[in-house]
Amino acid sequence: MAHVPDGVLSTPVLVGGALGSLALLTLSLRRLDYGHLPHAAVLSAAFFVSSLISVPLGPSSVHLLLNGLMGVMLGWTAVPALLVALCLQLVFFGHGGLAALGVNTLNMAIPALLCGLALRPRLARAGPGGMFRIGAAAGGIGVLLTGLLVVLSLVLSDRAFLPAAQVLAVSVLPLALVEALITGTVLSFLARVDPGSVLGEGAGRA
Amino acid sequence: MPSLRRSLPLVLTLVATPVFAHGIQVFAFADGDRIEGSAHFAGGGVARGARIRVLDAQGGLLAELEPDAEGVFSYQTRAPVDHLIVAETGDGHRAEWRVSAAELGPGFPEAAAEGAVSEGCVAGRSFADPSARSELTALIEQAVARQVRPLREELLAARGRASLRDVLGGIGYLFGLAGVLMWWRARGSRDLK
Repeated sequence: MAHVPDGVLSTPVLVGGALGSLALLTLSLRRLDYGHLPHAAVLSAAFFVSSLISVPLGPSSVHLLLNGLMGVMLGWTAVPALLVALCLQLVFFGHGGLAALGVNTLNMAIPALLCGLALRPRLARAGPGGMFRIGAAAGGIGVLLTGLLVVLSLVLSDRAFLPAAQVLAVSVLPLALVEALITGTVLSFLARVDPGSVLGEGAGRA
Repeated sequence: MPSLRRSLPLVLTLVATPVFAHGIQVFAFADGDRIEGSAHFAGGGVARGARIRVLDAQGGLLAELEPDAEGVFSYQTRAPVDHLIVAETGDGHRAEWRVSAAELGPGFPEAAAEGAVSEGCVAGRSFADPSARSELTALIEQAVARQVRPLREELLAARGRASLRDVLGGIGYLFGLAGVLMWWRARGSRDLK
């Protein structure tokens, strides 16, 4: 769903996506948290592999995105992590198009960033149940927002809105549910066994 | 905790066994003067809701088809020219397949007969007649195409499937990149001391 191939989007959308993702990348590289690098590597590896396990669902096929989890765990570091993983998926698996790389990065990174900005501050105050709820929210928001952005980029490329919206409704809602469950479980598990990885270094020891 | 952190990547790679590549795939082959094809999602699902467009070499739309319950579609061609088959779903999955003019040639005996006449005759009585010869050539080409078709489909499916090597290679890149960055950072902080 989220890897838009070449030949689907119009030139203005492609150019806009490339410029937008470049701007976002510059911004995030300035705010990069080097303490997050190992987590970024593990999470982008998980993201990289998860797109291989796609399940046919309704009129489309879906796979886990994990961008909500990346956003809530990495904050700004999620942007370069996503870009690198998308590049590797493009080279190794042929997922998504080279020209559409900017748009695809934006479609994944904006939801991740929003999850990070909205939910990361809440992590410090969250109990075990709260962790699950925050993770579930991140997973759900990540998938729904990415789906919306994909539809938006298709519509802006002068494509019929209705089929895209229908496919979104049929395939993205169940995926958002599954992803919310998985992200919530992963986040609460990590918070229990290794709080430092979720809250940032230092917080776990305090 | 360190042991867990070290084992997490391993667990993630073990859980995520490579299955199939992503998106939609379309195959199409010439069968006489018809184009027969099928559309599938990676992972084996039938692409029922997909839209199939048949374009000519200049990109002009020849037909719009909808695959049946098995994801199969067919198109009656009108001329032995290059045909481009494009399969799309509403949410931006897209795949292309080209059926070349040469592949469709045998389905159009009138066009093939002209070629046969200019080539001249082969030795042997029954093939002296150019029309009989071109008919035989068409039959042989159709039969071979039909025999080779499953092989081609299998080859394409194999090419579309990501191998374990791809997965491990990609993960290796990610960890290597993180390692280089961390090394670089660590060196910088040691220089400061």
